[in-house]
Amino acid sequence: MRSEVDVRWLPALVLGLALVACASPPQPTPDLLAPDDAQMNLRNMQTRSFDLTDRNQALRGVIAALQDLGFIIERANEPLGLVTGARFAEPRWTDVVGITVTVRPQEGGKMLIRANAIFNNEPITDPQIYQNFFATLERSMFIGRN
Amino acid sequence: MRARRRRRPGLAVVAAGLLAAACSPYMGRHELQWDSLDQIWRAEASQVKVRNAQSRVFDTSDRLGTLEAVVATFQDLGFQIEVLDEALGIVSGKKFTGLEKPSVGFDPSYVLYDAESLVVFSRTYRSWGPFWHRSDLVRLTVTVRARNEKQLVVRAAAQFQLRPIEAPEPYQAFFRTLEQAMFSERHALGVVTPHPQLVLPLASVR
Repeated sequence: MRSEVDVRWLPALVLGLALVACASPPQPTPDLLAPDDAQMNLRNMQTRSFDLTDRNQALRGVIAALQDLGFIIERANEPLGLVTGARFAEPRWTDVVGITVTVRPQEGGKMLIRANAIFNNEPITDPQIYQNFFATLERSMFIGRN
Repeated sequence: MRARRRRRPGLAVVAAGLLAAACSPYMGRHELQWDSLDQIWRAEASQVKVRNAQSRVFDTSDRLGTLEAVVATFQDLGFQIEVLDEALGIVSGKKFTGLEKPSVGFDPSYVLYDAESLVVFSRTYRSWGPFWHRSDLVRLTVTVRARNEKQLVVRAAAQFQLRPIEAPEPYQAFFRTLEQAMFSERHALGVVTPHPQLVLPLASVR
């Protein structure tokens, strides 16, 4: 009767594991700082044009909308038209949503507002989220005007 | 003969255990940085070469417009802006690449690395570190400064896996995106002059 397992392959396995384990760290890919297709698609849903000429007024609308949504403003830069904020997200409240909004004047009395948001470490790709943000922004600007 | 065979599996298991403890796939591929001072003087490639890859000269004096284009580029690339100073001409941001997963099999050390968590919050949390920054964090700083009355120098410096990126390709991709952003910005504003685009060798960048 022979109940032993043949263990001749074990040293080779250990050596193989050692080789895999001690491989070099990941290297940056050439396209690390290049936009991918998904991000370019996201750009459309992240952008809205408003009939406004006053950048300051638009920025105030953005800040008010972010406050309405429970964000804490982290930085606001008027000359460059940028607002960033973050909030903890339900239901766990350990998750973090971060948002960057830029306000840029366009030709013909338009103001281009772009928002991009991340949930923890991943970009938010759900168009509904951005629609909700812009709906809140429209309401906030409407209230601000009246 | 039988006795000798009995010892071998035990030895192999001990060796495998030691290996797993000392050099797990994650640990082996990532460096622990216990002290931020380790970052100092870390650059390996020639400083001139890196600076050359990171810098571009643009034929424009519109500093604010260039900074706006940089911010738009950050948004295009999915970076979150962390620092923005128009007086100093600095934009810094971060983004996360996809979390690493073991290509084959299952590595228990990955269990501790919750894909949905942001950072290890506790100072005393026992992990492979680094404690304050995730290793999948990409950080990018861009500076815009005047070279002379008609030109600006834009320099980008990025960090990946806690090390500065010294290869030129990621920067080339960044500047391509920046040039597109500058073009679309000027187009949107109805500026008819050609968009600034000029790449000069570093020797002329001072």
